[in-house]
Amino acid sequence: MRHLIKTLLLCIGSMLLLSGCMEKEKFVVYGATTQGKDVEIIVKDADYVERATVIQFEDSMLVAVQIKPWRKWQKAKLEKKLQKQLDKKYPKQEILVSADYKIFYEANKIKKEQLENTKLNERLTKLKELAKEQT
Amino acid sequence: MVIIFPSKPSVLAGGVAAGPLEKRSIFSSYFDVLYDDERWQMKTNEQGHRQMVQEACQSAIKKLGVQNAEVDYFLGGDLVNQMTPTNFAARELAMPFIGLFSACATSVSSVIVASLLAELGAAKLALAGASSQHNAVERQFRYPVDYGAQKPQTAQWTVTAAGYALIGQHREDCPAIEAATVGKVVDYGMDDPFHMGAAMAPAAFQTIQCHLEQREQKIYHYDLILTGDLGQLGLKLLKGMFVENGVDNEELTILRDAGAEFYGQDEAFQSGASGAGCSAAVFFSYVLQQMRVGTYKHVLLVATGALLSPLSFQQGETIPCTAHAVELTMK
Amino acid sequence: MEKEQYQKLEQYVTPKPPYLKNVAKAFVVGGLICLIGQAVSLFYMVFFNFTEATVGNPTVATMVFFSMILTGIGLYKRIGQFAGAGSAVPVTGFGNAVISAAIEHRSEGFVLGVGSNLFKLAGSVVLFGVVSAFFVALIKYILVTLGVVSW
Repeated sequence: MRHLIKTLLLCIGSMLLLSGCMEKEKFVVYGATTQGKDVEIIVKDADYVERATVIQFEDSMLVAVQIKPWRKWQKAKLEKKLQKQLDKKYPKQEILVSADYKIFYEANKIKKEQLENTKLNERLTKLKELAKEQT
Repeated sequence: MVIIFPSKPSVLAGGVAAGPLEKRSIFSSYFDVLYDDERWQMKTNEQGHRQMVQEACQSAIKKLGVQNAEVDYFLGGDLVNQMTPTNFAARELAMPFIGLFSACATSVSSVIVASLLAELGAAKLALAGASSQHNAVERQFRYPVDYGAQKPQTAQWTVTAAGYALIGQHREDCPAIEAATVGKVVDYGMDDPFHMGAAMAPAAFQTIQCHLEQREQKIYHYDLILTGDLGQLGLKLLKGMFVENGVDNEELTILRDAGAEFYGQDEAFQSGASGAGCSAAVFFSYVLQQMRVGTYKHVLLVATGALLSPLSFQQGETIPCTAHAVELTMK
Repeated sequence: MEKEQYQKLEQYVTPKPPYLKNVAKAFVVGGLICLIGQAVSLFYMVFFNFTEATVGNPTVATMVFFSMILTGIGLYKRIGQFAGAGSAVPVTGFGNAVISAAIEHRSEGFVLGVGSNLFKLAGSVVLFGVVSAFFVALIKYILVTLGVVSW
């Protein structure tokens, strides 16, 4: 048992080390929009955001963020804060800020698959609906 | 409280049936029937319990080479509600039956009653003993068997075993019952059902003390004083009480406990074995056989019982305990 | 020997429970169970349409299912003996409490056995969970109405 725990801890430790070394793009903006090109700057400015992927299509925008680990306690609050900030900046855009991992994961998938036009729009509306689901 | 038997009834034969885990017991080579299935291939634990009682009785009867109908009395008990396993076994065995309950001390209290019947001449042969089945008893007193609660180091493991002995008129080649002590119910305010050894040790101490005083004996007059199921901690406490009473440590090696030794030093069983079947299985196999061989000539068997129910300790009552003793000699 | 004297002797002989060791074991095993739970919820988020807000239900169901299997093959009580609170506090412990009671009382039939004894151990968890949730919600409602905090 003791041996097992030791090897397990070693495994987890090395995994953490490896994942820490892998440099990923931390802030991604995908798609084009009528306005809001400097959304990246605002998101980068927020010190509680660890990674973010922004998907834009026409006047719709999805800001999927991942909050830094120790700030996750205030996840809902920070999410709201960012939403307010962006709503103020781009009053004409239909913005949804989400700190949910699922939304972040799907947003990255959209970027990876390089979706465009109608398909992109479809996925975007679907994701926005999903993010609002409660139970 | 001490009963002396002038006619010296004998323990003519013993029969012990035990479950699969009891193969790990250091006494397992002395047991008559060891089963691989703790339910004895029955549907329920309680039915398996009944089957185990029957097997133990039958093997004692077979050893003596008699018929069921020749047995005059069947005295025994277990720890399940209303003692149905033993009651139902009595139905199958078709013998005159008295159910006895002194919790884990039933193994000796039944022997005392059987000896009285033999002394009186009312019984040529009487079956006496007790049994317990781990699953059936755990559900009775504690949690469901598969519930993952952590047991403290002081806890004991209820054994799956039944031990029965045939008691009859005196015979030279069998261990004879010289005297017996019926114990008082003692309560030293212990209330932890996971620390039964501590609750039962004072009862064992009082019974042994009383027996020795009235028989005008000392501990060193015996080859072996074996308590039922105090467990490792309970035995330590019992010895501690004797030390406080001025008995020296060397003499106390005579004092042993069946529960503490039952599973050897296996830590998985915490403080040791317990249950009515624990004392019965060791008394009516190991002790009887060792006496017949002549290893021990003078033995005091002390079975201890904790007289609690789940209801009583949930209502915050302390655990009253009792201990009964029989003195066996072998010529 | 007097009662007080005996209680002293009892306290002297009885070993103290190894609290620190128990806490460490509970921490490691409890953490491992939660790690598995995290992996399960990640699985549901990646392969199914569940968000962090909705993944709780299927994850709990799956963890209870795992604990059911482990209880059925008699492994959970061993984990419980080793880990103590570590395996009792996560939802798997709740599952174990329900399932062990169900197995235990199967012999009395489905209605009077399993049905009426299923929540023998877990019933108080459900009851006091609901009651305390009610009071917490009530206090928060009062505080919000008074304007001390927001939802």
